[in-house]
Amino acid sequence: MKWVARTAILALLSLVAVGTRHLFPRPDVAPWQEPTAQYGAENAVAAIVLGARLWDTLLEVLVYALAIAGVKMALGGLGRARPLPPVPETPLLRRSADILLGPIVILSLYIAASGHLGPGGGFPAGAILGSGLLLLALAKGVERLSQELHEATWERSEYGAIAALLALGGAFLCLGFPGSSFLVSANLLITMEVAIGAWVVLHYFARARGEV
Amino acid sequence: MGAVLLCALTLTLAAFALTRRRLLWGVIGVGAHSLALAGVYLFLAAPDVALAEAAIGFALVTFIFLLALRRTGRLVVAATEVYPLLYQEGDKIAGLEWEILRRFGQWVHRDVEVLWVNRADIPRLLAAGETDLAAGGFLPREGATVLLSPPLVPTQLVNVRCRPGPVGAVAGDRGQDHLPPDGLTYEDAGELAAALARGELGGAVVDLVRLRQWLLSEGTNKTHFALRDAEMTPLEDLAFRFALVPHETELHQALEEFLKTLASTGELERLITEHLQ
Repeated sequence: MKWVARTAILALLSLVAVGTRHLFPRPDVAPWQEPTAQYGAENAVAAIVLGARLWDTLLEVLVYALAIAGVKMALGGLGRARPLPPVPETPLLRRSADILLGPIVILSLYIAASGHLGPGGGFPAGAILGSGLLLLALAKGVERLSQELHEATWERSEYGAIAALLALGGAFLCLGFPGSSFLVSANLLITMEVAIGAWVVLHYFARARGEV
Repeated sequence: MGAVLLCALTLTLAAFALTRRRLLWGVIGVGAHSLALAGVYLFLAAPDVALAEAAIGFALVTFIFLLALRRTGRLVVAATEVYPLLYQEGDKIAGLEWEILRRFGQWVHRDVEVLWVNRADIPRLLAAGETDLAAGGFLPREGATVLLSPPLVPTQLVNVRCRPGPVGAVAGDRGQDHLPPDGLTYEDAGELAAALARGELGGAVVDLVRLRQWLLSEGTNKTHFALRDAEMTPLEDLAFRFALVPHETELHQALEEFLKTLASTGELERLITEHLQ
């Protein structure tokens, strides 16, 4: 079993190493100057983001907000469980969280900030940042992490980010785009919303179980 | 070609995740499956979708499963500390019951984790399904709704009377059933011993293993139970067992089978002589 896993990992790595350039099929793309001019964007990716991907992401954010509201309402009806003794901290998880957390945060910020130049954008960046938060919860225990974070502020900023995003989306739908320069800040806002949303959902689950 | 290979890998990893007996391996399989699926998207020229799939499927979902598994994917044992049976030595756990539990964990492919709790909390934790087993010199009260393992170590419940005064027992323990109406209960055996040493109690209902521990510690740490000339009346012949959640019949069966194997190889007897003599 072990050598199968090792061969699979090696095969995956060598596929990446050979270079994705020759392996990927190149879809025929229409000339990019035209849509770029249409949306007032500075490059082709930003034009795609403005024309299609931004709507995609806005609806994802809306679905996410609905999911959070659903979790809150469904678990609120169950009431709080009796408190449980905390799970002891394990050194392995603690160390790996120490090592991984920094790269995770930097990667997610990079993906969010370069979302208008290549693949990425706010939603995956938020998911990566959220998984960093969950890694921290795994290492420290949900009960300790929730004591250190101010829950009410986080939830309020979460709702604030959702409202701001929906307002932005509505305004652009009615008024048209003011160029593509606002995309970086929009992506960072989406990142924040998704990451905090992941934590808020986890916190509700942990509280219904009696961990917090 | 690459996409076909990755698709095959996706299917293999899905089969791997579905066939694991241990939940942790299943979760790892699902995570690896998501990563391979992200590779498929990459080869189909959809790097954006691949990134989202990797971030959500590989990282976020795996972490949420792992957080849920912290309490359920392992064999959680609620235990009280009793010297030769189950006790902490530095940051390690040792004792007869620990040796048995450790081997049983390997037998059912689950990590054993011991939660140190008060004796009185054990029925609630078992009933809530938060722990799978109870150990540490467990003697059930009459009418307790738990499944019991085959007997591990025979013992006896005795009434120890050192001086006139009320009689004490550990709350939730078998000894509580034998208390007179004016008897007092304590959260754990340590508090009961302390109360006896302070002279608050005239006597106690305890089992032989804890009594032996008190006798050994007499004189040290300025404790004085006056046990040497105490009057002891045997009450009941019992045996230490493990207790299980009532609906865990599968685990109960596995434990019975495991203890039978352990007894037939002579290992159980060897462990008992090693730890109790």
